[in-house]
Amino acid sequence: MAGTLDTLKVIVLIAFRNLFASRLKTLIVGGIILFGSTLVVVGTALVDSVDASMSRSIIGSVAGHIQVYNAKSVDELTVMGSFQMEGADLAQIDDFKAMRKALSSVPNVKEVVPMGLSGAMVPAGNTVDVVLGKLRELVRRQQAGEDVKAAIESQKDHVRQIIGVLATDVANIGKVLTDKAVAPEELAAIRRASSPDLWSEFDDNPLGTLEFLENRIAPLATDAEMLFLRYIGTDPAAFAKSFDRMKIVDGTTIPPGKRGFLFSKFIYEEQVKLKTAHRLDKIHDAILKRGKTIATDLGLQRWVKQNATEVKEIMLQLDGQQKSMFRRKLQQELGSQEEDVSKLLSRFFEVDDGNIMRRYQFFYDELAPSLTLYRVRIGDTLTIKAFTKSGYVQSVNLRVYGTFAFEGLEESHLAGVLNLMDLVSFRDLYGFSTPEREREIAALKKKAGFEDIDRDKAEAELFGAGATEPAPSEATEHSAPAVDADALLHGLGGKGKRVKMEDRSYDPAQLEQGVVLNAAVIVKNPRLIPQTMRDIEAAGKKAGLPLKAIDWQKASGLVGQFVTMIRAVLYISVLIIFAVALVIINNAMVMATLERIAEIGTLRAVGAQRRFLLAMLVVETLAVGALFGGIGSAIGVGIVGFMRFVGIPASNDTLYFLFSGSRLYPGISPINVVIALAIVLVVSGASSLYPGFLAMKVSPRQAMQSDE
Amino acid sequence: MKNIVSVQQVHKNYSLGTFVVPALRGVSLDVEEGEFLAIAGPSGSGKTTLLNLIGCVDTPTEGTVAIAGSPTGSMSERQLTRLRLHTIGFIFQSFNLVSVLSVLQNIELPLLLQRSAGAKERRERVHALLERVGIAEYANHRPSELSGGQRQRVAIARALVTRPQLVLADEPTANLDSVTGTNILNLMKELNRTEKTTFIFSTHDARVWAYASSVVRLADGQLIDRVSAEEAVRVGGVAGAPTAGTP
Repeated sequence: MAGTLDTLKVIVLIAFRNLFASRLKTLIVGGIILFGSTLVVVGTALVDSVDASMSRSIIGSVAGHIQVYNAKSVDELTVMGSFQMEGADLAQIDDFKAMRKALSSVPNVKEVVPMGLSGAMVPAGNTVDVVLGKLRELVRRQQAGEDVKAAIESQKDHVRQIIGVLATDVANIGKVLTDKAVAPEELAAIRRASSPDLWSEFDDNPLGTLEFLENRIAPLATDAEMLFLRYIGTDPAAFAKSFDRMKIVDGTTIPPGKRGFLFSKFIYEEQVKLKTAHRLDKIHDAILKRGKTIATDLGLQRWVKQNATEVKEIMLQLDGQQKSMFRRKLQQELGSQEEDVSKLLSRFFEVDDGNIMRRYQFFYDELAPSLTLYRVRIGDTLTIKAFTKSGYVQSVNLRVYGTFAFEGLEESHLAGVLNLMDLVSFRDLYGFSTPEREREIAALKKKAGFEDIDRDKAEAELFGAGATEPAPSEATEHSAPAVDADALLHGLGGKGKRVKMEDRSYDPAQLEQGVVLNAAVIVKNPRLIPQTMRDIEAAGKKAGLPLKAIDWQKASGLVGQFVTMIRAVLYISVLIIFAVALVIINNAMVMATLERIAEIGTLRAVGAQRRFLLAMLVVETLAVGALFGGIGSAIGVGIVGFMRFVGIPASNDTLYFLFSGSRLYPGISPINVVIALAIVLVVSGASSLYPGFLAMKVSPRQAMQSDE
Repeated sequence: MKNIVSVQQVHKNYSLGTFVVPALRGVSLDVEEGEFLAIAGPSGSGKTTLLNLIGCVDTPTEGTVAIAGSPTGSMSERQLTRLRLHTIGFIFQSFNLVSVLSVLQNIELPLLLQRSAGAKERRERVHALLERVGIAEYANHRPSELSGGQRQRVAIARALVTRPQLVLADEPTANLDSVTGTNILNLMKELNRTEKTTFIFSTHDARVWAYASSVVRLADGQLIDRVSAEEAVRVGGVAGAPTAGTP
């Protein structure tokens, strides 16, 4: 044993002395190995950290560990990263209770959250509508005998202000483009609205004038925007319990048994907030949190410019008194004598790095209290219209109870894109029947003398025997009600029934009993996810439910594949670097072997076996590998440690989500270093095999080369 | 005395493309233990080829070679290597020291390959030999820091450290000046006498024949004769060459 160790020692000694003797070669080879091992350590540590943080984001925000849906679905389920307004085309699961029972029989399942994903465009109304709505309400109260004359005058003044703004707009469009750019009827409407006669007419026929204003003038205010809302219908209580990073930011959660809507805070800020205020927030945050400057950042400059040019949204909100107040405050703040409030606002929003903090403060202290900052406020009722599964439009009124966000992911678009509503309202919007609706429909059908017709034969019944082309919703025929309840409700006075729908309660047991599209599963032991998925599918089969289970990574679609892609790029880079290293080391060792033929021959002559020579060369390259791989790994550990100390800033929304917060603090585990060293040693060892083979072929006669 | 080397009717041919070059043609030679034998001949006469065959670094095309009573023809490459390691010591014309190892490590190397001696024994043997060849103060020097004569002394020590029965020296003085060459031959001669180690060395320099106990003369791959050193000097007619027994 001692002899073997001593021999090894001499091998190592020869190897190291050789390395030292060929310093340049050693440095070149070592440099490549050093770079490669540093890359492996830093790369794998970063990818692992992003993987871990991203999985926290995805699992903790909506996907859970596993998503389960109907195996007969047309599409694959994607809860994230989908850009479709509607969710995937999923077959329904009729009875969530049975699904829960099957899932709960799997030992590793901890929580099951019912879900359904869809989306709708929601009209949020514009400023003119709001002002005219207030005026209409005042008129109604006046007609009811209340003395609201002063209030009506103030509101009329506001409408006049708005018309003034719109008239200027139309005139500007005419100047910038051509007169033809403005439709003649729009021009006529503006002219009529601007004339003093309108308000004489108003006194005589207030409702008629309001109708004109609502129909002809309000649409001209282009601040009317649709909200694009994607939402999850779920059991709000179970959702909050299972996704414990969820927190209510404004308002309250949806009370049990109540229909309601929770905005994602991100969407609420992004889509519902006054655009100017939101941009001001973003500029302020970018400077404060990310250290950006307006002078150097083109994005911030663009927002400043937009704010300075798009003041109409604010102007439309101002009545006469507010306008005067704004004029006074802005003149004082800006030290200007300008009378035009829109010009004053423009100047006010032309912020720079020197005044942004003061202007931001001034805006929220002095101007914002007079403005409606959010088009939909907490407590308002939101009318959501969506296409049902069978293609009809269905609408529900939902009270907005509040906003929510996921802890640490507040600024992430990916985590913040989904809003929440109760599952019962979701079923209504999606076109699923509920016991309550079925009773309603039965009554209506009886009243209207309707008959049930077979869905398959519906077109033949309605349009004659030739019309046999299948309906587009054929894919879900097994799940759709025989007659679309929503269409009936919509067409037969359902609107009346839906009055104050937002205040209606439902039996929380309905959440359990009805239809769902998918369910998020939280497991006890995340390491057993693959086994749990198999168990879930088996449990579904046993219960007669065609369940398909996918892990969070698959459920999160492209987002989930992101880390796999980064990992692939990293490994390909590493492969290329080490392939190059292998060739270079191999060549260098071949050269070194050829230069040392006499020495190798001598060693053979004095009694060194071939394996000794092979071992010598392998040790030589392994020594280079271990030494420089070790140094490279240490440098890698140092780099990751430094990154952990300072944090890698998330410069955009995607990174914010991947990092599970504003900065990534990467961790390093021994496995990162082990992988790097293993790759280095394998490559070093492999690259010494051919030179070793050459060395073994050297004859001891080479040592005797003299004069013959 | 027992034969340490027995070469019988050995032929060795080398192929140069389509040509076959005979290096040795039917050489037979027996060397007794304790001899100090010179193999003499001009360049190309087959001296080194004969040494290669005796040293088991090459195999004959025809004929047999036996070392210490063991025929080498049937031995595997591995066995031949073991035989070299345990029975034969080599001294090369160009010293052939491992440049990256120190003097001490160079001498110790064969012992490490043998794996039989412990560290203490190795050190003792190496130091004794360093003293013996007169380079103890250079133990930690690198070969590149030594003169030619000193390097050859290291090579001699390395050849003897395993206490081989046979030492083969290929033109040991060819790269040395005459004074240094003489000193080296004297050293080898002394070791031959005191250690009873058999020395076979090749040389084309007739002046060193006088050191040998006998001289084998080769020409064109054939053994011409085997004569005493005196006879060889006389026949070789080299004026002023030292006579046998001259220290």
